[in-house]
Amino acid sequence: MSEQPSTPTIVASFKPGARADIAARAELSEIDASTRAPLMLFLVSAVLWLIVGTAFAIISSYKLHSPGFLGDIEWLTFGRARTAHLNAVIYGWATNAAVGVAFWLMARLSRSVVRHGGILLFAVALWNIGVTIGIIGILKGDSTSVEWLEMPTYATPLLFIAYALVGAWAVITFRYGKSKHIYVSQWYILAALFWFPWLYSVAQMMIIFAPARGTVQALVNWWFGHNVLGLWFTPIGLASVYYFLPKVLGKPIHSYYLSILGFWSLAIFYNWAGVHHLVGGPVPAWVITAGIAASFMMVVPVVVTGINHHLTMIGSFSALKYSPTLRFIVFGAVNYTLTSLIGSLMAARSVSETLHFTHFVVAHAHHGMYAFFTMVMFGAIYYILPRILLREWPNATLIRTHFWATAVGSMVYVVGLSIGGVVQGLMMNHTSPDGSVTYTVLQVVEATIPYLFSRSVAGILITVGHLAFAVNFFWMLSKKPVSQSSAPTLFRNPEEMELAAK
Amino acid sequence: MEWFFYALTFVMALGITSTAVYALYWSSKKGQLRDFDKGAASIFDEAEPIGKPTDFFPAKKKKQKKHHTAAAETRAP
Repeated sequence: MSEQPSTPTIVASFKPGARADIAARAELSEIDASTRAPLMLFLVSAVLWLIVGTAFAIISSYKLHSPGFLGDIEWLTFGRARTAHLNAVIYGWATNAAVGVAFWLMARLSRSVVRHGGILLFAVALWNIGVTIGIIGILKGDSTSVEWLEMPTYATPLLFIAYALVGAWAVITFRYGKSKHIYVSQWYILAALFWFPWLYSVAQMMIIFAPARGTVQALVNWWFGHNVLGLWFTPIGLASVYYFLPKVLGKPIHSYYLSILGFWSLAIFYNWAGVHHLVGGPVPAWVITAGIAASFMMVVPVVVTGINHHLTMIGSFSALKYSPTLRFIVFGAVNYTLTSLIGSLMAARSVSETLHFTHFVVAHAHHGMYAFFTMVMFGAIYYILPRILLREWPNATLIRTHFWATAVGSMVYVVGLSIGGVVQGLMMNHTSPDGSVTYTVLQVVEATIPYLFSRSVAGILITVGHLAFAVNFFWMLSKKPVSQSSAPTLFRNPEEMELAAK
Repeated sequence: MEWFFYALTFVMALGITSTAVYALYWSSKKGQLRDFDKGAASIFDEAEPIGKPTDFFPAKKKKQKKHHTAAAETRAP
C-alpha cells in the first residue's frame, strides 16, 4: 500500500471502506448479471454466424476469379453462396451482435436490470431459427432474388416476431430506467429499434407479400437496402462508439452538443438517401435529385460525428497500446468518417456514372459494414464479455492477431476492390472516336481479375482474424472466473457483490 | 388489396415521423437539450470516474498499474 497515490487506484476502489463506491459497483454488477443469459445467446450465435458467413464469403470470392471452383455443386453456385454470405453476416452475425450490444448498453445506460429476460431468450431463439431456415432456403434455391430480402417467405415472419419482441423489451427497459438523463447512445439505440421494424415490414409488404408495380418496387428495395445500413446498423455502431470511446479513455466526449446535433441530422436526412442507388435508372428525376441532395446533406452528421470522435481521441493515442476495445472502436470510427464521405460523393451523378454497377460499390459496402460496423462490434464484445462473465480474455496474442488480421485484411479488401471498380467503370464507359464501345465485356472482366484476387487474399487474412477471435471467445467461455487479483480488464468489487458469478 | 398496403405504409410513415417530432419536443421539454457537460459526464460515476481508463489487454497488469500510479512509481525506490 506504499504505492497509494492521491488519485484512486483500482486497488483503492476495491477497498470496502468506500461505501458509495461499492453500492455503485453492485448496481452495475447486478445490471450486467441480469443481461448475462440472453446476451450470451446473442453473442454465441453471432460468432457462429460470423464463421459461417466468412466461409461463404471465401467461397464466393474465390469463384469470381476461378469460376470452376465448386462449380458443380448446385447448392454452392455463386448466386446462392454469395447470397448466403450476405444473409449470414447481416441477419446472423451483425444483427445478433447489434441487438446484444444494444441491449447491454440500454440496460447500463438506463440503469435498469433486464426485466422479463425470458422474452429476449425466446426472441433470440426464434431469430436464429428464422435465419437458419432462411439460409437453408436460399441454398436450396428458394431465394426471392430481391437484394437484402432474399430469405424465402416461410422464414421471414419468424424474424419479424423475434424482432418485435426485442423492440417491446427495449421499451420496457427504457420505461423502468432510473437514469434521468438520456445519453446520446440511448437516442441512437431507441431510434434504431423503432426504425428497423418499420423498414422491414414496409419492404416485406411492398415487395414480397403485395408487390408494388413498376419502378416503385425498385425504389422500395433501395430505400430498404440503404436504410438497413443507415437507420439500423449505423445508429447501433455510433451508439457503441459514443459509449465505449469516452468510457475506455475515462474522458467525456469532446462535445455533447455536437453528438446531439449529429443524431438529429442523421434522423432527418438518412431516410431520403437510399434512392441514389437508382441514379440513371427509369425513375422520376426529382426522386433521384432528392436522394442525391439528402446524400450530400449526410455530410453534416458525418462531419459533426467525425469531429467529435477524433477530437475526443486527440491526446490519448497512447491508450491504443493498452486497450483492445479502443483499437477496434477507433479503427471503426475513422472508417465511419471515411466511408460516409465516400458514400456521399458516390451519389453524385457524374461519379455514379462511372462507379455504379462496378466492384467499387461492393468495396464501399464492406467498408461500411465491416471496417466500421463489424470492427466496432468486435471492440464492444471485447469490453462487455469480461464484465458479464467475470473472466479475463484468455490470450492477448489472439486479440492482437484478430485486430491486425482484420484491420489489414479489410483495408486490402477496400483499397484493392475500389481500384478494381474504378478500372472496371472507366473501361465499360470508354468509347472509341467512332462512338463504339472500346472494350468487350470479356476484356473488362479479365482486367478486374487481379483485384478480385486481392479480395481473396484479404478474405484469407480476415478469416485468420475471425478464427483467432472465435478461439479466444470459446476458450473464454470454457474458463473459470478469475480471482480478483489477476483481472486487468475488470474493475471488480468484493466477491460477495458480484452477482454475475453465481 | 393493393390500396390497403399503400394506405397502411402511409399511416406507418406518418406514425414514425410523428414519434420523431414528438421525441424532439419531449427531449426539449424535459431539459435533455440543456447542460451538455452534465450529459457528457452521465456515463461516469463514483465507481468509474472521469480520468480512469477501463479497458486493458489481459496479462498486462504492470502496464495498467503504471498508467494509474505513474506519479507514485516515480517516487518509489
